[in-house]
Amino acid sequence: MSQNLAADETLDKPQGPLNSDVRAGKRAARTTWAEMRKAWQAYALLAPTFLMLIVFMYYPPILGLIRSFYEWAPGTDATYVGLSNFRAYFAYPETVREISNMGKLILFGLFSNMVVPFVMAEMIYSVRSMVAKGFYRLLIIIPMLTPGLVTILLWKHIYDPKFGPVHTLLSAVGLDALALNWLGEPSTALYAIMGVGFPWVSSIGTLIYLGGLAQISASIYDSCLLDGCTGLRRVLRIDLPLVLGQVRLLAILAVIHGLTAFNTILVLTDGGPGFVTTVPGLTMYKRAFLTQQFGYGSAIGLMLFVIAMVLTLTVNRSVRPFGEDEAGR
Amino acid sequence: MRTILSGRQSKEVPRTWWRPQISLHTSIVVILILALVPIYLMLVVSFKNPLQFMHERWVPSHPLRLGNYGAAWLVVSEYIINTVFVACAGLLGVLIQSLTCGHVFARMRFPFREPLFYAIIALLMVPWVLSFVPGYMLYHGLGLINTRWALIIPNLANGPVFGIFLMRAVIAGIPEELYEAARCDGAGVIREITWITLPLSLPGLATLAVVNFIGTWNWFLWPLVAVTDKAKQLITVGLYQLTSGGAHGTAVSMSVWGPLFAGYVIASVPLVILFVFLGRFYVEGLMETGLKV
Repeated sequence: MSQNLAADETLDKPQGPLNSDVRAGKRAARTTWAEMRKAWQAYALLAPTFLMLIVFMYYPPILGLIRSFYEWAPGTDATYVGLSNFRAYFAYPETVREISNMGKLILFGLFSNMVVPFVMAEMIYSVRSMVAKGFYRLLIIIPMLTPGLVTILLWKHIYDPKFGPVHTLLSAVGLDALALNWLGEPSTALYAIMGVGFPWVSSIGTLIYLGGLAQISASIYDSCLLDGCTGLRRVLRIDLPLVLGQVRLLAILAVIHGLTAFNTILVLTDGGPGFVTTVPGLTMYKRAFLTQQFGYGSAIGLMLFVIAMVLTLTVNRSVRPFGEDEAGR
Repeated sequence: MRTILSGRQSKEVPRTWWRPQISLHTSIVVILILALVPIYLMLVVSFKNPLQFMHERWVPSHPLRLGNYGAAWLVVSEYIINTVFVACAGLLGVLIQSLTCGHVFARMRFPFREPLFYAIIALLMVPWVLSFVPGYMLYHGLGLINTRWALIIPNLANGPVFGIFLMRAVIAGIPEELYEAARCDGAGVIREITWITLPLSLPGLATLAVVNFIGTWNWFLWPLVAVTDKAKQLITVGLYQLTSGGAHGTAVSMSVWGPLFAGYVIASVPLVILFVFLGRFYVEGLMETGLKV
């Protein structure tokens, strides 16, 4: 910033009667160049990182944008095919179901990653005893201590139609009609996938909300108490508006997770039974790595990226924390 | 941390304050118990032999079959060592890059500082799906598929993106006077970083280390496609392949539930160790996350 300021100052100085603008411009450019040479150490320290970023972080997405319009496989030359990858994807009969599955999972993700942790955070926050509060906060972290994939595998066992506790429990209480192969039945498989992680009190979400709630000043609560605003009304009128920043963050994370995370589905059902639980991300994976259609896979990746951008911007626009109204307009 | 713990305290406490508190505690405890059920099952079943598993499946049974852990260790030890190696190799590079670049962006003045910084931050907005398939082709073209580099390089390249964002904020909070004093003593950039920035940004580095380590420990889809050699595979993919017997196989027969679950427990141990030592920084970082965004 200060460099720009310095350059502006040189511009403002009187430069002589003729071609002052051109000369000033040249001088500004020279000043920038001189500044850059003076700051060579900064560039030298950034260079290795940027080298890595250019090759491994900027290049692949750009390559993906281009190769979405190509037929592409390892070991062969890519051939330009125009929009045919996209046309093929939308002509594919399972596409509608895939996209509707993804929509359902995103909506459910908003509930399980944004709403449930808020309720949990409010409950822990309302606890009066400091010892209990610290203890609950410690317990909420414990599910994070198993790798995410192990949690998914454990749920596969929990749903196991022969030995799983869900089956045992339902049979034991006489609900044999419900003791199905939850992941194997076309009508229940998607809901079983949503059920993973029940009761969905994600450690990360809850901690982020707790951090936000702790920032609310005691004076707000005091005046709120004077006005007789307590209980649920206080939660909705005071707490919720004041943690909207956190709500927005978790909403964006939930949407991106719903769009891109297909590892739960890959592990639990592999898109089955049939194609009942397939999502676009899983099709991207399978097209690229099982049938070697890398252009087709890139095209699905590109579409998911566009959807993610649109949804992120929508959430960003529609959820406005306090104090951002003025700046946003 | 103090403020977070103290929370809200009103001065006038009504006499019946404990009645809603009891139902509150009950609901929290019930929810937490439900949330911990999978971990309970993991621990209980990991100590059972097939016979115990058939008879009392969901409660601990008397002779704990510690042999399950020995059997599991034989299978998963290689995966664990691979993952620790990849995580640590990547981590060191990520920390060094984040520290130096964070220092450069927070403390040095040079043309194009802001555009360069935003060029890095913009990468946080690109979801991994966009580069998943072309990324494979890039590594394939470089001949890195099925080598350890295919797992270390993504760490080295991806980690600094969030790392620089985090460390810049941390380093910007260090008082300028310290740097002035160091400069008076004739310190150059490298000395500024090692003398002042490094010791004063250790909590930030710890947060970053935990984030990256957890990331590697949960990494699944990329290693699944990038590495086919079992001897180089990471723990997540290893456990997945053990459980499902490949991508399309059926679940393993019940006789191996015990050792398998012991394998899950072993896979969790490094994360537990990490959280015991550095978890505090991670939790504090998370609680502040929402405040910065």
